[in-house]
Amino acid sequence: MDQLFDVSLFASTLRMITPILLAALGGALCARVGLFNVGLEGLILIGAFSAIVGNHLTGSVWLAVLFAIVCVLVFSLLLAYMAIHLKANVIVVGISLNFLALGLTTFSLRAIFDVKGAYYDKSMVGLPKWDIPLIKDIPWVGDVVSGHSPLVYLSIVLVACLQYYLFKTVSGFRLLAAGQNPVAARSLGIKVTHIQYGAVLMCGVLCGLAGAQLSLGQVTMFTEGMTAGRGFIALVATMLGQSNPLGVAGASLLFGFMDALSTRLQGYALPVHFTMMLPYVVTIIAMFFFKDKSYLAEARKANESSR
Amino acid sequence: MDKLKGILGALMQPLLAIIVGLGAGAIAIAIVGGSITETYAEMWKGAFGSFYFFTNTLSRATPIMLIGLGVALAFRAGFFNMGSEGQMVLGALSAAVTAIYLPGPAWLKLVAALLAGVIAGGLWSAFAGWLDARFRMNLLITTLLLNYIASLFAGYVVSYPLMDRSGSAAMAQTVMVDKSVWLPKLFQGMSLHAGFLFALIGAIALAWFMRYMVKGYEIRMMGGNPLFASYGGVNRGRLMLYSMFVSGGFAGLAGAGEVLGTQYRYLDGALTSPGYAWSGIMATLLAGSNPLGTALAAILLAALQTGGMGVERNTDVPLEVSSIIQAVLILFISAKFTYSFFKKKKKAGA
Repeated sequence: MDQLFDVSLFASTLRMITPILLAALGGALCARVGLFNVGLEGLILIGAFSAIVGNHLTGSVWLAVLFAIVCVLVFSLLLAYMAIHLKANVIVVGISLNFLALGLTTFSLRAIFDVKGAYYDKSMVGLPKWDIPLIKDIPWVGDVVSGHSPLVYLSIVLVACLQYYLFKTVSGFRLLAAGQNPVAARSLGIKVTHIQYGAVLMCGVLCGLAGAQLSLGQVTMFTEGMTAGRGFIALVATMLGQSNPLGVAGASLLFGFMDALSTRLQGYALPVHFTMMLPYVVTIIAMFFFKDKSYLAEARKANESSR
Repeated sequence: MDKLKGILGALMQPLLAIIVGLGAGAIAIAIVGGSITETYAEMWKGAFGSFYFFTNTLSRATPIMLIGLGVALAFRAGFFNMGSEGQMVLGALSAAVTAIYLPGPAWLKLVAALLAGVIAGGLWSAFAGWLDARFRMNLLITTLLLNYIASLFAGYVVSYPLMDRSGSAAMAQTVMVDKSVWLPKLFQGMSLHAGFLFALIGAIALAWFMRYMVKGYEIRMMGGNPLFASYGGVNRGRLMLYSMFVSGGFAGLAGAGEVLGTQYRYLDGALTSPGYAWSGIMATLLAGSNPLGTALAAILLAALQTGGMGVERNTDVPLEVSSIIQAVLILFISAKFTYSFFKKKKKAGA
């Protein structure tokens, strides 16, 4: 047991949750303005791929992250335009965006790097690891908390920022109002459409960061479909956390821990299939225990309009 | 005249989407430096070029059609069933296990295997429906998560307890189904098997059911206006269980058909990597959940995929160009709602 739950398990938990957390925060913003964004998976995938492309083109990690954000922004703009302007069903648009992302990234992988399956370049540098002064000297905590990529810390800061923004600022209240009752918000002169666009675009930025962390944060490579359902787990984290940044962070922590644990358990006699199943099973169990009826009702509304 | 206009109006949107999709594909082809006309000519040849390629396309369309029909039924009732992949995998696994290990005459094995596929797929799907109806767990999410669980479970079964250790290849697969239990081929030497007939019959039966049966009306009512449906005495929970079971049953049948008609064994990843389930969902979206339309859309998508393989064989353009065309197609078809929305608005104004 001691070997199982050692320091590196918790450290890798922190690394694993970052993509999920970033995307889930974006999903929470979208959910707050009444758009149930199923396209998170695709947006992260595009982010992961474009980060690698940016790194390949510019040779700079930071420009690569920026490039990823810009690319994902374009796609989230497409989603926003279809869903808000053309009033297409958000879920359908999200699903087709996932298809598009999968097709486009595999196609571009062939077109740009001329490889199939995965792209890996030894000379490519990933995101740097930051040691936090003072904290890194505390025995256990230092090993867990220190030495991660900047995006890991950024995601934690973002949780606090978003929590403050949504529940303490006027602009945040407007955003909440736009989602809760668009008609009333509009009658008060709040530009609901603008707010919705803003939320979807912000979600794009967050998904771009999530993708960059996925492909540049730990492995510095891109594999076809490397998101492997993380976008959907982020969606669940959004729901479990009831679109509340702190709640979302808590839910992401649970999944990140399961993810890290499942990787760790593979070293034991358990068949890989069962350890890989763990995050999904735990997610379903968690859904059973944590549910907010009012939020589910909202999701259900979006769910039921299949045409 | 009005009827003709109506049909033309209904066809306009899909045609427009197809044109936009092909346009997007053309841009992608131009970017990688291929010849657009040559690539599309190869795509057409790869899909319909000869009778052999045509039957190939139809055999690829078979699972897509069946899955699409199941999803269409669920969509019509207003339930987003995203779990076709898991339902298909479990259906395929149960069909393979039944066909291999059930004693008895061959015809009994075949029927039992097909039934086992339907039941396994249906139960897995109804389980998600039950979680929603009983515990209010969002169906969209549970079905998605159950996909991963089903695929991993099936992967475990064929890599450990039921793995085929007779051959030299260490593939994760079951032993081969006996030749007498195979689904018959429709044409000598072609890959098209009897499963295609199931898909055709299924499409017609589902269209008839939705149009003329009381339950079909209830399903449409539930999808169109849940409040009105419950006011009219439709039990949402029970309807959800039924329609999810049938929906998953179609997916299970698709898996069983692939095992008994094409692969003759359960091979890990053979059903998930071609993305049959997602193509089925795309076909449903493309056809607006109309059963007969779904069958046609499934053939169109299968043609794009087999055509893409032709492109990859004969040109330098990657196969994935067809998945871009498919995705753009769906993206633009989703704007259909708007199209009719604006028309309605105009009418109301006038």
